[in-house]
Amino acid sequence: MALFATLTQKELRVVRALQHERDYLAGEVVFDQGEEGQALYVMVSGRVAIGLVGSTPDASFTVVAELAPGDFFGEMALLDDAPRMAQARALEDCCLVAFFREDFMLLLETHPTIASKIAIQLARHMGQRLRAAGSRALLSRSALS
Amino acid sequence: MTSDGPDRAGEVLAGPIVWAGIIATTSLLLLLLQGVLWLVIPALLGLILYYLLQPAVRRLVFSGLDHELAASLVAGVFFVAIAAALALVLPWAAAQATNWHMSLSRYLDGGVSLLERTLRLLESESGLLRNAHVAETVTARIDELTSGFVERHLPDVAMAVAAWLPSILLAPLLTYFFLRDGRRFARFLARAMPNAYFERTLKLLHEVNQTTRAYFVGLIQLTLVEGALLALGLVWIGLPGAMGLGFLVAVMAWVPYVGSAAGGLMLLMVAATDFPNTLWPTYAAGALFLAVRLLDDFVLMPLIIGRHLRLHPLVAILMLFAGGVIAGVAGLMLVLPVLGVVMVVGETLGRIVTDPRLRARHRHALRLRRRQAAMNLPRP
Repeated sequence: MALFATLTQKELRVVRALQHERDYLAGEVVFDQGEEGQALYVMVSGRVAIGLVGSTPDASFTVVAELAPGDFFGEMALLDDAPRMAQARALEDCCLVAFFREDFMLLLETHPTIASKIAIQLARHMGQRLRAAGSRALLSRSALS
Repeated sequence: MTSDGPDRAGEVLAGPIVWAGIIATTSLLLLLLQGVLWLVIPALLGLILYYLLQPAVRRLVFSGLDHELAASLVAGVFFVAIAAALALVLPWAAAQATNWHMSLSRYLDGGVSLLERTLRLLESESGLLRNAHVAETVTARIDELTSGFVERHLPDVAMAVAAWLPSILLAPLLTYFFLRDGRRFARFLARAMPNAYFERTLKLLHEVNQTTRAYFVGLIQLTLVEGALLALGLVWIGLPGAMGLGFLVAVMAWVPYVGSAAGGLMLLMVAATDFPNTLWPTYAAGALFLAVRLLDDFVLMPLIIGRHLRLHPLVAILMLFAGGVIAGVAGLMLVLPVLGVVMVVGETLGRIVTDPRLRARHRHALRLRRRQAAMNLPRP
């Protein structure tokens, strides 16, 4: 799991005590667009799609990303309680591990080393996404010009 | 994969129906809890000790200790210290039992004498009271009531303490398990929730924990501040045993109204007995008690507890009265923490029940699970 890749076995045991394992069936919604985010999810098995849902009743689901085991999503929920920007939907039966925001805050107090390792992994992940989004924007601008 | 976005419709604030449910549930719980006080009292004590000891457990975990070991260590050290203190105090207390018996009678007589002196003073100022012989009549009635009071009631009190002892001994055990398995219990509850309500349940459990912590930690802070103020005041007045008396009166205030009134009365009786020749220390002790109570009720309580519980003062006062009517002294003690927790649960449930999207997601998940369960079954 990329998020916990830098943790030692002892540190992983601490994190495992805070995790919640959840099973979802194919087609089940993990979280909704616009919902207040409370937890980050790490994929253990199966596939999950992150996508945008339109506002009309027959709106289609526009897939933005497809995630496989080891990936994580909903990470902004660890930082603030802003509404989710996209919907997460199970594409096949999957097992996810949820990590609650308040448990992360507790980790910052009791195990700052573990929390900072997780925070650095989160920052790296967001940096990669920001760079990818920047490259896409550059490509679109050059295509337009 | 989240960021700022539009909030979904369907979230509503708790309305009158939810609040009626909260008040009805609180009243019903008080009625039910009254029947299991043998468990409720140690559970409350256990919760107070849990919130008192939790920072020490966290500090040990922070220094690298395993959570279970830290919980066992903190609980063990605390209870061994309490047991050692009791082992030292109990033989001394047993030896002093006769003295205490005499002291109780002496303080009771001191209280009656204070009342008589005050009434005589009033009679000397008012002809109406003098003609009605108020001092004489009231003193005679109180003498009638209090003669042999201690002898009559001491065996009952001793029996009640003996009957409650096994139940009170549950408190350390509960504290240990709260410290060790509190998080495990929260995970167990969250696991039982359907996926659609999972995140809301996590938040709800966190808020319930925050509310109870706010109440009990606030109560401890309030007791310390009130005890210190009373002790300082009593030291200034010159009352013997001022420190112990100040903190005892502060602890008695845990029972709203009844405990406070009994604490105030006790202060007056002690002051009147220890200063039989002058009235000013008794009046000063009374004024000090009133000043601390006013400070407590109108400044410290809203500041320390009310702010965390987010209770409207009028609701809190009305519920205190209702708690007293429903479950007596136990109701007075329990009503605010129970109301705080029921309020958080009620408001969250109200939001979940009135959120059509969450209900739809749950129904959708149930359909998927039914379909999966019926897969590959031959048609009838």
